[in-house]
Amino acid sequence: MKSARGLLVALAIALLADFTLDRVIPDSSVRQLAMLACCNMVVALSLNVINGMAGQFSIGHAGFLALGAYVAAIVASHVHLALGGGDVTFARSLIVVPASLALAALVAGAFGFLVGLPSLRLRGDYLAIVTLGFAEIVRLVIATARAGDQTWLAKLGGQTGYAGAEDAGIPLYAGPFWIIGITVLAIVVAWRLKMSGWGRSIRALREDEIAAAAVGVDPTRAKVTAFVVSAAGGGIAGGMLAIMRDGTPIVQPDSFGFQATFDAVTMVILGGSGSVSGAVVGSLIITLSVKAIELLQATDAVQALKASYESLDLNALRMMIYAALLVTLMILRPDGIFGEREIRLFSRAKRDRADSTRA
Amino acid sequence: MLLDLRGVSKKFGGLRAIHDVSFGVAKGRIFGLIGPNGAGKTTLFNVVSGVVSPDAGEARFEGADLGAMKPAEIAAIGIARTFQNVRLFSELTVVENLLVASELGRKTRTMAALLRTRAHHAEEESLRKNALEMLRVFELEKLAEAKATSLAYGNQRRLEIARAMMLRPKLLLLDEPAAGMNTKEGEELTTQIRWLRDTFDLTVMLVEHNMRVVMASCEEVHVLDHGETIAHGTPAEIRNDARVIASYLGTSAEA
Repeated sequence: MKSARGLLVALAIALLADFTLDRVIPDSSVRQLAMLACCNMVVALSLNVINGMAGQFSIGHAGFLALGAYVAAIVASHVHLALGGGDVTFARSLIVVPASLALAALVAGAFGFLVGLPSLRLRGDYLAIVTLGFAEIVRLVIATARAGDQTWLAKLGGQTGYAGAEDAGIPLYAGPFWIIGITVLAIVVAWRLKMSGWGRSIRALREDEIAAAAVGVDPTRAKVTAFVVSAAGGGIAGGMLAIMRDGTPIVQPDSFGFQATFDAVTMVILGGSGSVSGAVVGSLIITLSVKAIELLQATDAVQALKASYESLDLNALRMMIYAALLVTLMILRPDGIFGEREIRLFSRAKRDRADSTRA
Repeated sequence: MLLDLRGVSKKFGGLRAIHDVSFGVAKGRIFGLIGPNGAGKTTLFNVVSGVVSPDAGEARFEGADLGAMKPAEIAAIGIARTFQNVRLFSELTVVENLLVASELGRKTRTMAALLRTRAHHAEEESLRKNALEMLRVFELEKLAEAKATSLAYGNQRRLEIARAMMLRPKLLLLDEPAAGMNTKEGEELTTQIRWLRDTFDLTVMLVEHNMRVVMASCEEVHVLDHGETIAHGTPAEIRNDARVIASYLGTSAEA
């Protein structure tokens, strides 16, 4: 079992990172960036299932991220209290993190099922609008709940955000062990799903629904499952963002606006729709470029420019660079960096393929 | 009768696509369905493969009511089809196109694929082996790893039949298999259809405009015009039927 050994090695590295990352990377903002890159990979990998593999254009991924983030934050806070509060320890994270992320996946997955149903009748633009509507409903329901009310919804803190039970801050249990571990797991799962019979079936469905049905693929079942898998993955990613160590101890509805979806869609398209490698690379590029642009904005030259032109919006700069990047890419490589291809790190896959072709 | 149609009718808006069509296809037969453009041949295929359900009448396959079944279910009970305008999974490789059609026979579950169990590997290997064998039958094995969309038109048509054959169907529906083929290719197709029938214990129903192919390959022919039956019989009978000649074959078709 080669893969089992690989998994153990990854686990060991992640475990080591959990205790030493603080010393290896003393700058917490860099640590945060590394962890954020991991979370974003899971965001892109999960969105890739529905947008890339199944070919359904969803622009509501932020909705699933939001559900996952809030559920994980609530569960983590309450389990933390139930354990007696106090310090966030690694031993406790063994209970808190799986519990929060499992529930986040469950809730997001259930909503994925609901949003997936219209996908049976709608396609293209119409489906996009439904998914966008869903995400905005989730965000606005949370944002507009009045803080004074005693309903459970109001306890989410409305626009200000949810800062844990009794406003004590969300306990940030997901250290590097969890974040890196889950990301590695997500890559493995995404890869294997794509290569599985189910993955082939939903890719076939994307290419031609009538032909896929004629060879026995049940379109209803395949599409709804794809939505559920993608949503559950989004829920986990949202949960990771919410309880990530070095993150902020508060979740706010505004983090899950259209911008979040747009970033996720960009990661997938940039890397190459349907490609697992593409989702990984795309999410890295986007995460790092966000940081790079932030750094650029902090430089003296840009600050001086801003001093002389007061109306200069620094955030607009980011959007401009993004847009230019995307336009260039779409001209040079309309299918994204990878298209639907993959980088094969392990030669075994190659050899398998060569063998079977020769057989 | 393997396939039994009784009084099948289908309207699209005010258009009577097929009206009161009845015939049976015996097991092992190569059965031709002909008629001028718009005669309702493809609609009939769509009824049999579950893409549309009939407004009236019933289509039964080994006793099962096809009108109540979804295309995927119909594929599972042994009816495979090709399409008039080739429908392949373009971005998938040639062998992947066939593998999608072998999913119905898969025994291991997706969980096994996630865990990469021994049983999963064994099954993947055997499915792939079967797919490559089928590709060899259609002389496509060298193109196994090419994208389906990169194939030449003739190969695409053959790939589509190969994919349909992966279902191990009892009944194979071919929608204009000879479209775009020259005389020589048409003859090869005729040989191939007969060979498939004999080798795989198939029943074949085909829609075709190429009379040469129909006359050479079919043992029984059903003629539709404006959605209604106008003739039924052996190719020789059809060739001499006055109504068929008038509505379809005309004077230009060589008999």
